[in-house]
Amino acid sequence: MSEPERPQEGDAEQAPGSQVPAERTGGDYAPSVAERLALFQRAGGIATPLLTAAFAFFVGGLVVLVTTGKNPLRTYQAIFDGSGLNWLFPWITSEERTLAAFNLQYTLLLTTPLILTGLAVAFAFRCGMFNIGGQGQYTVGAVVAVWVGSSFAGMAGVAHALLAIVLAVLAGALWAGIAGLLKATVGAHEVISTIMLNWIALWVGSFLFTLGGPLQDSDQPGVPVSGSVQEGAKLLVFWGEPELQGLHIGLFVAIGALVAFWVMLNRTTLGYEVRAVGFNPEAARYGGISVARNYFLAMAISGAFAGLAASLDVLGWQFRISETDVQISQIGFIGIAVALLGRNTAVGIGFAALLFGSLLNGASTRNLDPEIFKPELAGNLTLLIQGLIVLFVGADVLVLYLWQLRRRVKLRVARAGT
Amino acid sequence: MKRRLLPWLTMALSATALVAVSVAPARTSEAAGPSATPAKATAPAGGAFKVALVTDIGGLNDRSFNFLANKGRLRVQNELGVQTRVFITTTAADRIPNLRTAAQQGYDLVIGVGFLMAEPLSVVAKAFPNTKFAGVDVAWETVKGGPKNVRGLLFKEQEAGYLAGYLAGLQVVRKPAQGEYVVGAVGAIKIPPIVRYLAGYYAGARKADPRIKVLINYAQDSTFSDQAKCKEQALNQIANNAGVVFQVAGQCGLGVLSAAKEKGVFGIGVDADQGYIGPHVLTSAIKKVDVAVFLTAQAAKAQGSRFRGGYNATFSIKNSGVGYGRVTTRVPKSDVAKVEAIRKQIVSGKIRVPANLPAGVG
Repeated sequence: MSEPERPQEGDAEQAPGSQVPAERTGGDYAPSVAERLALFQRAGGIATPLLTAAFAFFVGGLVVLVTTGKNPLRTYQAIFDGSGLNWLFPWITSEERTLAAFNLQYTLLLTTPLILTGLAVAFAFRCGMFNIGGQGQYTVGAVVAVWVGSSFAGMAGVAHALLAIVLAVLAGALWAGIAGLLKATVGAHEVISTIMLNWIALWVGSFLFTLGGPLQDSDQPGVPVSGSVQEGAKLLVFWGEPELQGLHIGLFVAIGALVAFWVMLNRTTLGYEVRAVGFNPEAARYGGISVARNYFLAMAISGAFAGLAASLDVLGWQFRISETDVQISQIGFIGIAVALLGRNTAVGIGFAALLFGSLLNGASTRNLDPEIFKPELAGNLTLLIQGLIVLFVGADVLVLYLWQLRRRVKLRVARAGT
Repeated sequence: MKRRLLPWLTMALSATALVAVSVAPARTSEAAGPSATPAKATAPAGGAFKVALVTDIGGLNDRSFNFLANKGRLRVQNELGVQTRVFITTTAADRIPNLRTAAQQGYDLVIGVGFLMAEPLSVVAKAFPNTKFAGVDVAWETVKGGPKNVRGLLFKEQEAGYLAGYLAGLQVVRKPAQGEYVVGAVGAIKIPPIVRYLAGYYAGARKADPRIKVLINYAQDSTFSDQAKCKEQALNQIANNAGVVFQVAGQCGLGVLSAAKEKGVFGIGVDADQGYIGPHVLTSAIKKVDVAVFLTAQAAKAQGSRFRGGYNATFSIKNSGVGYGRVTTRVPKSDVAKVEAIRKQIVSGKIRVPANLPAGVG
């Protein structure tokens, strides 16, 4: 997509002595929108996310060093072990492998919804919208999934699970679709409307599961929690113990969603239109694409991903939702960081979700020995690195810009010399 | 040619990053000898008695529930010379893994905090029948499958609430606002432990004077952390002539105490002794989670395999599991004496405090 911009940039750089770049690099130089976009696109390779993550870990390491006075590499090593990724190494002992398998199950369990909430942000992003509402869409999906999953006792297992998933996906799509529709019809900014929808979802969810709420479990009148998902509707656990939060087949659904995301964007008319609108809505409109329709569809598809994430969590391991769970969940917000680091691409999101899943699990207090890292700080380290990554993701364009600026200064000096 | 520089540079840097990333695992494998893996380092087979604490959501510094549980753990460590470890729960996904890891690492007693532990305890206790479990605020009946290696640790919060309500009642009768006898209480959400506090508070205030009106509101903050929500409810109650406001909302409830300070009325703290906040804190209704944790660990250590589950251990005024905290110097000493007299009547069983609010209240 950056093709049209490249020749322009190239011309400017290849002809340092000519008058054209001299004018462009003058004191009052400001890059045009197209130029900035081109720069952003070029920063979109694999290098920047890797650099971003490396920078974040480096600064995080400095913080560990300053605050605890301990070797940050040891902390990172413990986090790495805690994530269970050492399971992939052939040389670890069988005892280590048992522990690593157990940790990796939890890491992948956390990665599954992160992939999907990451996609929920990314799909809207590719249509030029910033979907902050992943959390709300997730909550709505979770409510529907737990409601369907805990009712219809007599239903056949697979059909029951499928029904819960489909309805949760639709609920998520509908919830996000509201924001898309508002943007398409009256131009309400999606950032505002999705944030507001988050709060509506949060309070509706809290109301439903609170003591005496409509969906609160009648078997436990004293606990603000929903009823439990029927045995038959639970997803199959293929690795680990089903009773103890083993890894369920939802992981494959999430990976399938990554493929679907790529195919949808790159191999379908819908994806072409969505990207066209995201690239330049005015040009898309001029080209005969209905911008309003694509705004709505892109948001709805985004919400569907978030709803899917919620249904897999509910049917895969959570089985019931308490009022506290509704209010404390951050999975949709972490999805924003996943999408940013993954640069809104399918492969990138897969890896970014794995990174965040590993961090969340690896830096939990059960995996960080108190000797290595104080339990009070363990959770904060994850948040810190997460924050740094988001910060550097935003800053990578700046880094590249500074790099170019340096070149421009050089150019000017060279010009002054001749 | 110059424009070729940038891709090369980024490639070089990313290569460096890749090397750095791949070096870290290599280090891991070298160092992961006998001592590096956390789980192994802390799991001597059949070794000394060890206690693990798995907190509820909210962090260790909530100045209330988790804080007290952790305080109990530290006391166990210092006074009993027992190795302990805390596992912090940050999301719903942490509960089962935390309990399971604690059991797997060979902790003999694993204490879970919060009523939401009932479900996770039921599955983990089943998987580790030789490990003893206890759940603070977990009623044993709610643990599915009735496991015999789980003990519920419950509190008679209503008794602490009763004393606080009684003292509050004495104040508003002495100094009514616009001729009205009103006391208020703000709960975080409507859950059993909070309702028990409120039920006792209601009954205690009515004991001081049956004409007293008790305002009960919920901040609807199940994170127990948003002070603004609690403050808003308290300001409302004070506007309706409440002369004392009782917070039953952890950190959220600190907003209630600050509302009381602003409007020149009394506030009452909860769970921990919050008298340190200022003289506007009339007293605190105390729930000694630390004592419960300590006593349970002590019993488990002394009894070994004879330590029994399958029932609820109840902590009340009688065994000093609940009570009231420091009373502000702004009230006459005679009030404290009256509260003390009531406390003795509860201990002797002369006063029985209801655990539920009367129908139609709150």
